[in-house]
Amino acid sequence: MSTDAPPTDATKLFHPHFAGHDQISARTLGFWLYMLSDALIFTALFAAYAVLNNPMSAAGGPIAPQVVNPVEGLWQTYAVLGSVATYSLGTVALKSGNKAGVMLGIILSIVLALVFLGFETHDLLGLLAKGDGPARSGYLSAFFILIATHGLHMVFGIIWMLVMLVQIPTMGFTANVVARLINLRMFWQFQATIWVLVYIYVYMIGAY
Amino acid sequence: MSAPATSPLDHPEVRQASAWRYIAGFITSMVLMQAALMVTLHQHLPYQEYVFTTGGLALVALLCQAALFFGLDISRAQIWKSVSLVLTIPLFILSVGLTVWMFQSLAQRTMIMPVTTVQPTLLE
Amino acid sequence: MQVAIQGPWSPLFGRLTLASIPYHTPILIATFAGVAVIGLVIVGAVLYYNKLGYLWREWITTVDHKKIGVMYIILGLVMLVRGFADGLMIRTQQAMAIGPNSPGILGAQHGFLPPFHFDQIYSAHGTVMILFAATPILTGLTNVIVPLQIGARDMAFPYMNALSLWLTTAGAILVMLSLFVGDFSAAGWVGLIPLTELPYSPGVGVDYWMWAIQISSIGTTLNAINMIVTIIKMRAPGMSWFRLPVFTWTTLSTNIIGLTAFPVLGVALGLLGADRYLGAHFYTAGLGGNLMLYTNLFWIWGHPEVYFLVLPAFGIFSEIIPTFSEKPLFGYTTMVAATFAIAGISWAVWLHHFFTMAAGPDVNGFFSIATMLVGIPTGVKVFNWMFTLYRGRLTFATPMLWSLAGLFLLLAGGITGMMLAIPAINYSVHDSVFVIAHFHCMVLLIGAAMFAAVSYWFPKVFGIQLDERNGLMFFWTFIAATGIVFIAMFALGFEGETRRLAYIYDPAWRPMLWTEEAGMMLYIVSIGYFARMLYVSLRDRIPVPADPWGTSRTLEFLTHSPVPFYNFAVTPQVNARDELAWRRDHGLEKTQPDAFEVIHMPCNSAIPFIIGMLAMAFGFGLIWRIWWMFGAALLGIVIAVIIRSFDKNLGYEIQPEEVAAMERNLATAGIIAEQPARKPLTEAEAH
Repeated sequence: MSTDAPPTDATKLFHPHFAGHDQISARTLGFWLYMLSDALIFTALFAAYAVLNNPMSAAGGPIAPQVVNPVEGLWQTYAVLGSVATYSLGTVALKSGNKAGVMLGIILSIVLALVFLGFETHDLLGLLAKGDGPARSGYLSAFFILIATHGLHMVFGIIWMLVMLVQIPTMGFTANVVARLINLRMFWQFQATIWVLVYIYVYMIGAY
Repeated sequence: MSAPATSPLDHPEVRQASAWRYIAGFITSMVLMQAALMVTLHQHLPYQEYVFTTGGLALVALLCQAALFFGLDISRAQIWKSVSLVLTIPLFILSVGLTVWMFQSLAQRTMIMPVTTVQPTLLE
Repeated sequence: MQVAIQGPWSPLFGRLTLASIPYHTPILIATFAGVAVIGLVIVGAVLYYNKLGYLWREWITTVDHKKIGVMYIILGLVMLVRGFADGLMIRTQQAMAIGPNSPGILGAQHGFLPPFHFDQIYSAHGTVMILFAATPILTGLTNVIVPLQIGARDMAFPYMNALSLWLTTAGAILVMLSLFVGDFSAAGWVGLIPLTELPYSPGVGVDYWMWAIQISSIGTTLNAINMIVTIIKMRAPGMSWFRLPVFTWTTLSTNIIGLTAFPVLGVALGLLGADRYLGAHFYTAGLGGNLMLYTNLFWIWGHPEVYFLVLPAFGIFSEIIPTFSEKPLFGYTTMVAATFAIAGISWAVWLHHFFTMAAGPDVNGFFSIATMLVGIPTGVKVFNWMFTLYRGRLTFATPMLWSLAGLFLLLAGGITGMMLAIPAINYSVHDSVFVIAHFHCMVLLIGAAMFAAVSYWFPKVFGIQLDERNGLMFFWTFIAATGIVFIAMFALGFEGETRRLAYIYDPAWRPMLWTEEAGMMLYIVSIGYFARMLYVSLRDRIPVPADPWGTSRTLEFLTHSPVPFYNFAVTPQVNARDELAWRRDHGLEKTQPDAFEVIHMPCNSAIPFIIGMLAMAFGFGLIWRIWWMFGAALLGIVIAVIIRSFDKNLGYEIQPEEVAAMERNLATAGIIAEQPARKPLTEAEAH
């Protein structure tokens, strides 16, 4: 390119001792991109739900207002947002390298996540017991898969948290552990954000 | 690539954690969800307005979470997250929006409508 | 919740019985014999030359982006041959089974393939070519080249890079396995719904197709993350955004597409899986399913996928044409803008794959216009390439010829694409072979770019010349064959031949079908030349300098050929957009660093390979409904990931003296060379 300046005495051709790149930032950005990709999974599931949420696709089976309970959903929302808040407060303790504080945050977060999953399992099993499983109608298929995909994310999040509960005391706050803790925080917030969308769309607007 | 001399705990993404932001994020999200529930339970709005109200509340909740929980901004540590999110949002809207539009059009033209909504056509 | 399935099922073997082995199909027995012989020869050679350890240490467990890229390309080439064999069988069947009096052999009424087998072949042809040939070859190329072009030592996540490769390989192995164990989907590569549903495809074919794609597309998504982070975070000092080579730009945009489009495919197929395994009703014909939902979701991925493939091809042309015109690329900024415009529009055009579905004129009109809009940035690109050629000092080396041929194919494919974007025209040629000819022009343009790239960068990566004479013969036979097959196919499309015919009912199509068959024979000749090109190059091993072409412009040609495993002994400082051309213009291209320094490298790992094989077992268990295998493999993957997270390996360091020795004797650092065992760093040394 003609705009590129010609070399001078100060021109460097090599850059010895180039410090390289910040590994934690690379990892968090990579994980963030994974989450955007995951968000597209939910986008497609929401699109499927939007298409199948109509009386024709309920095929004589129950429709949204008969399946979801927005008041109970609020309790679940409390649980999931509380779980995110406790984990996030745990990462505040990370600033001072306080292992106990971080682990306490994670444990509380797991408990609240289990409360949420308890509600959800109870709901889904109740529907199954009535014979209204995913095999009943197109609408119920969409409902089950959307809810279950979100639930599965939480299950994997809990497994991840359990691993971190082992790694924090044994490995300490190494760069790897810290990157994982930050990523896990983003993941956990992500699933809560998805739940907010599920709550608003499936439990409220879709069940109008 | 030598390991940075600083401790991982000094990383900006660790430093940005803040208790007040997380508590504020929790409270605003909860209040907004509760408000949406109130609107839903007292169904006196017409459908369109109802969708806009609850959808709007959800949007505010998402923005709060992006700002307060994710701590997204345009600082050096977060810029690429913000940029990639902004670039991806149109895809969410396009894929859901165009899908719904297409199926609406398809339903109007191919599905047997309930008697009340059937319009007389030129053929009749 | 397990769905009732036809046929026997046992807890130990699932649906797998001895009858699943197609030992009564002569074609498959011959194929199996061929594959077994080749496999035995390869295994025998590895054992005879005692290379098993080398293979394991230097390739299977590697985290080096160049080796991973090369393995991706080898995988892609193997699958390309497989896909070509499918294509050859399709064409031969159609050349034989013309009219009611055509004879049938090997158990077929007409031709040599019974309809069910024919259906599997065209399904496999599409799946293999798009997902297991083109995608891995392009991913491999970006893997090899992009870190070099931006002056990085490796990808951002070398370990995850290996994982992507082995997941893709697992998917490819499943596709190949379907040849000999069970059968493949007979419902088209797009998965024609509701044909893919359990009542209409009760066998394992659809399951093979579905899980192979799912597993490999996870690999593609991971690779997309890796590439984007690499390009954002790993650039050498001075490599500002507007100094990035255009190939890197197109890689970035293509991986943005990959990152966002593949999850939608995952959902489209996952919901089909829910239908087939849990008895859900997403796409079923009854009980509230919606067939169109599948088609819609599939093409939300499917169209961006086309640009996912074509953008790197455009990037390759943008590298090669300036090199062999000895001019900088014309309109760099518009080229970058056009790349992103194409990527953006690609998300709003998918409905043109099903204009005939009966959406209203407003919907069809929207998607029609959006589709035509793609023509604008593509046109910008074509004109930029033409202005780069204009008054350049042209050299018609093989890569340049491939690129120019690619432009002609782009023109033919693009203009017919514009025709198909008009719903009125689309209604009359929908599902005719006109469409097939159109998109084959596009994918063969991608093929041309792939061969251009292979011949352009092969000397760089391996440090030896690629035989030019056989390369030229390969080029001319391939391009002539393309012309013969697809011009005839355009004609057949207008004569009304529809896609996927196992039996040709109109004898008037015979001349064109036979022309196509002649073209296929020429393709076989071209593959022979390709093999000979590789053979002669590997036999003669003529070494090349750092810049084998003498006129290359980008950073990857700054380091040695073959590229040492650490890429650059000292990270280069970038001063200009076409750094190498800039250095050459100022007589600096030969300057070497004054001193070497410690290089830190990641250690190899067997875990990606293990996870890949577990993923294959996971898929196999699901396909045959062997629940224990599925569960054990899933558990194994989770455990392997957790074990890896406890790994404290910090990589190893190469001391300056060793770097200096390798810089003097380049063969010891090249891609083929075996490295001595190096001790990983300890925690104490790292701090």
